[in-house]
Amino acid sequence: MQQINSHTQPISLLICALGGEGGGVLTQWLVEVAHTAGYAAQSTSIPGVAQRTGATTYFIEVYPLPLAELGVRKPVFSLNPIPGALDAVISSELLETARCASNGLPSPERTLIISSNARTLTTTERSAIGDGRLDTAALLQIVQSACRAHHVFDMQAIAHQHGTIVSAVMLGAIAGCGLFPFPKDAYLKVVKQGGRGVAASVAGFEAAWQFMQQASVPLNQVQQLVRDIATASAAPSKFDHYPIEIHTMLKLAHARVSEYQNAAYGEVYLSRMAHVLKAEQQADSAASHAYAATNEMARWMGLWMAFDDIIRVAELKSRASRSSRVRQESKAQATDLLKVFDHFKPGMPEFAALLPLSIAKYLLAWDRKRVQRGAEPFALPLKLGSHTVMGMLALRSLAALKHVRKYGSRYREEQALITQWVDAVIAGLQEDWQLGYELALCGRLIKGYGTTNLRGKENLLHVMHHLAHPAFGIATARAAAIRLARDAALQDEAGSALDQTLIKLGAPARPVKEQPIRWIPRPKN
Amino acid sequence: MEVSFNEEIASLKLGDGEVFHGEGILAITKALLQSGVAYIGGYQGAPVSHLLDVMVQARDYVSTLGVHVEACSNEASAAAMLGASIHYPLRGAVTWKSIVGTNVAADALANLSSPGVTGGTLIVVGEDYGEGASVVQERTHAFAMKSTMLLLDPRPDLGNMVDMVEHAFALSEASNMPAMMELRIRACHVRGSFVCKDNKKPAISTRALMQEPASFDYTKLAHPPVTFGHEKLKITERIPAAQRYILENNLNELHPGQYADVGIIVQGGLYNALIRSLQQFGAADAYGNTDIPLLVLNVCFPLVPDQIAAFAESKKAVLIIEEGAPEYIEHEIATALRRRDLQTALHGKDMLPAVGEVNAEVVMGALVKFFARHLSAVDVAPVQTMLNAAVARRNHSAIKLDAALPARPPGFCVGCPERPVFAALKMTQQELGPLHIAADIGCHSFATFAPFSFGHSILGYGMSLASRAGVSPMMQRRVLSIMGDGGFWHNGLLTGVQSALFNGDDAVLLIFKNGYTSATGTQEIISTPDAQIKSAVTDKLMSLTATNRTIENTLEGIGVKWIKTVHAYRVADMRQVLKEALTTEFSGLKVIIAEGECQLERQRRIRPWLASLLARGQRVVRVKYGVDEDVCNGDHACIRLSGCPTLTLKDNPDPLKVDPVATVIDGCVGCGLCGENAHAATLCPSFYRVEVIQNPRWYEQLVASMRSTMLRLLQPA
Repeated sequence: MQQINSHTQPISLLICALGGEGGGVLTQWLVEVAHTAGYAAQSTSIPGVAQRTGATTYFIEVYPLPLAELGVRKPVFSLNPIPGALDAVISSELLETARCASNGLPSPERTLIISSNARTLTTTERSAIGDGRLDTAALLQIVQSACRAHHVFDMQAIAHQHGTIVSAVMLGAIAGCGLFPFPKDAYLKVVKQGGRGVAASVAGFEAAWQFMQQASVPLNQVQQLVRDIATASAAPSKFDHYPIEIHTMLKLAHARVSEYQNAAYGEVYLSRMAHVLKAEQQADSAASHAYAATNEMARWMGLWMAFDDIIRVAELKSRASRSSRVRQESKAQATDLLKVFDHFKPGMPEFAALLPLSIAKYLLAWDRKRVQRGAEPFALPLKLGSHTVMGMLALRSLAALKHVRKYGSRYREEQALITQWVDAVIAGLQEDWQLGYELALCGRLIKGYGTTNLRGKENLLHVMHHLAHPAFGIATARAAAIRLARDAALQDEAGSALDQTLIKLGAPARPVKEQPIRWIPRPKN
Repeated sequence: MEVSFNEEIASLKLGDGEVFHGEGILAITKALLQSGVAYIGGYQGAPVSHLLDVMVQARDYVSTLGVHVEACSNEASAAAMLGASIHYPLRGAVTWKSIVGTNVAADALANLSSPGVTGGTLIVVGEDYGEGASVVQERTHAFAMKSTMLLLDPRPDLGNMVDMVEHAFALSEASNMPAMMELRIRACHVRGSFVCKDNKKPAISTRALMQEPASFDYTKLAHPPVTFGHEKLKITERIPAAQRYILENNLNELHPGQYADVGIIVQGGLYNALIRSLQQFGAADAYGNTDIPLLVLNVCFPLVPDQIAAFAESKKAVLIIEEGAPEYIEHEIATALRRRDLQTALHGKDMLPAVGEVNAEVVMGALVKFFARHLSAVDVAPVQTMLNAAVARRNHSAIKLDAALPARPPGFCVGCPERPVFAALKMTQQELGPLHIAADIGCHSFATFAPFSFGHSILGYGMSLASRAGVSPMMQRRVLSIMGDGGFWHNGLLTGVQSALFNGDDAVLLIFKNGYTSATGTQEIISTPDAQIKSAVTDKLMSLTATNRTIENTLEGIGVKWIKTVHAYRVADMRQVLKEALTTEFSGLKVIIAEGECQLERQRRIRPWLASLLARGQRVVRVKYGVDEDVCNGDHACIRLSGCPTLTLKDNPDPLKVDPVATVIDGCVGCGLCGENAHAATLCPSFYRVEVIQNPRWYEQLVASMRSTMLRLLQPA
């Protein structure tokens, strides 16, 4: 502790929080604790409209000399932090901590950072088509390099565990780190003055306080995402002639495909994979890429072959494991009753998919004509009560259609496309490993239902026809172009990034789709 | 409003010698009562909402003092209320958010300032400038100058702020000028303490009525020819009277310092940033004792040129710490020095940044330049190093980050009734093509952020319909104007609706009828459901906005022929009505009312009710939405149509899939949007609605147990 004289400056703490998280309550608590403990303190904030889930900060300063010793002297407190002269930052969200760390206020010489590693994703991260989430490890690195010391732990988990709000946990962490010269009792006294949920607040406070006591040992902050690798059900002998590098993926996907339809369908999967493996072994006999192309094909072909249709959805939604998951997610008590309503809106393509091609064609043409007349496409909005006997019967009946799936038009169409794609990958591998690999990764474009699924397939076909075609250029150029196009296709729903990329690459943009035109009366002058 | 201010009201009642602990804006509120104010009005807005919110709830108490409280319909109405102090020795105070509120009030303020006031009047303006501000960046200072009003900018110490409120009334009375007090965001929210005085009952009040009106006095009108005389009075009498009061009562504070040949003149509100900056140079101590002489301007308009000259004349250089552009104070001081032929070097915006909030870092930068030039006794190197290090850290972070960190602007609350309307609007535009959207002030302006990004212009509160008058005649497609009920009553009815009707405009107006002016803090308005209806209704989950038809009646009364009311959460219906309004043959004004109670206020209303039901062991149904993780396709189209904070992502539990899946986290209020969107936009079939029945009835339990037996037979593992 530095010697206190008239040039001693207040201890400063910046609180980063999201609106509605109780940052205001925390600040008020801290001022009251200072008051209880007999110290001069001042806080301020810029809440604005941040109560509506936006990011905001609170700032508090405490003078380290007790009021009793100050007499008539009154410290002048600052209303905002000084870069490099900030003692501590506490934050309930990792991105906000990183934002604070990157604005130059904390310094490696002076500042202690206490942060939750929990993330509340921003809208831009959430709305990306693929995975738009920021890299947690990168955020942690920014935080680590900006401060003299840091404690990062999951405050939300502690709050949740003790049934309290995150601000109680933050208060415990502040108390536990010894930043302010207040005794623990002063904190507890203020928390106990609160109205509701005092016991939970105290429990959350204590847990964080304990954590800070033990936090002298540096934690392994970069949490590795440990994926639960399911054990595949198929007999090991089937996979013996596949390289060990791809066993995990292959077994998972084979199990998925077999469970989706039947064992014979699993065999179809393996025979397709055998061709791909052979092509890769020829293209890369030294296995310098560790069978990456086959591995990716194992994943994407498995997913494609187990394509989502009404039958699959009904199967997934009617499992007992699903019912218990819903109960768990809804945080229902054992004595509570649950009513579960599933939202479906199957349209004509979904029904046609189950029927033979001859009938399907007729129905789809009827639906197209409807749209051309200006009507909405045919669809059946359903709210199915899967907690009822009739609802469950309906789901199970649909799931039972699995046995006739292969007579449906969709099944045939998918098999034809898969074959086309596999052939393109094999041809690619034979020409140049990279080209085959990039095409294999294009399996990512295929996912989802309805128009999402159709759009993905059209994008894949377009890439295969134009960018994978030998006329486009040499193999390496084609591989590079396919990678660019694939990334672009995942950028926006309308595919405008893909079209722009295609044009830049010298390939034609996707054909314009016919769309009914609506005439709007011109406003009168 | 469902928030209770009991604690705050208790602080307002504190008596002589008792210590107040709390926020700056509440201290100001208390100071009004200590100053013997007779009437209080205003229009809420951050950062001064608290003043009026607390006062409205404290009506019972303040009426015992004889004080009248008025929640005005807009700032113009609040400013006009101050007219009471033209004739009568009544102290009055009003409050609003500035600069925007002052703009709205400008007409009444000019007409108040011209005849001048007899009773002291104080306008407490929330100076929404700098970090955390939500409005255009202009300063209130210009209004004080142009209408010749006093402008106080108190040093943000609660005791000083309270003193300045009391002085402001006296100063206003001594000079006949209305007073404004600007409080920056951080000053409004600063937590501190001061020693109270007793509240003062005004001599004339609601409990001590005037028997007769003032006798007719033409000079009290803002009407020619007396306005010419008023203009002269302002300069020859009122400003000098104010300057005398300021000097005699030492409103501007002189702090001596050992380096007497330099000095700093600072706006009161920036004093703390200056002291903290001087401390970094070792030129001030923790208690504000400084080595540099300071002149702290608690009153920024009018300045007292003699005081400035006396401060500057023996010095070789003076630095002015002033916020914003233009630098009015610096200009005025420069003129004062020049006219007196004083050769003191003058610095200000040559050393400070021209625009933006003046925080400690900015002041430190200016002091480095000032001391380097004029005060070699102070070593600037350590502070320069500190500032350089901060810049280096910022640059370093910028290099380390590939792109800027994603912003986290405010957004719609969980379950907000406005979100589904914008989802419907997104779908409508996918069908009809993009629209020109005239946006407005209010929560709905959050639709300008992702995932919606709607809105071409914001011209002011309630101005959206008026702001399309020049666009729609030039546009092939119809233009959509969006307005909240707050904006409608604040301004939109007259500037927008009336004008569109009078001109026979082909216009489409969408009004959010959520029952409150929500962005300003969910204050009640004339279309708020009645308190009696709220307390009488047995099922409190019901939206009650439909019970108040003031907006519909007003629109019908004024002559709107095409009005459709749609429940905000019915996405498909809303899309249909939007399409109809945008394509119908009807060529006049079309108004769509999106009706749905503000969810923030609804939750505050129903949470205690539900808790009380549960405590009594009664049946409660809680609704939550969910996403089946194995059905979700990882495309996130649902999020792009919603943006709800509780609809977020988690790692895909399926090891084969790479993209994260959507998930609904705790906090979902079961508003129903996910289900509506799933149907209206034909999203993937992963959404489910779960109704959790707590304390179910016996027959429900019976049915459920029979069902579960049957279901077990049907369900595979």
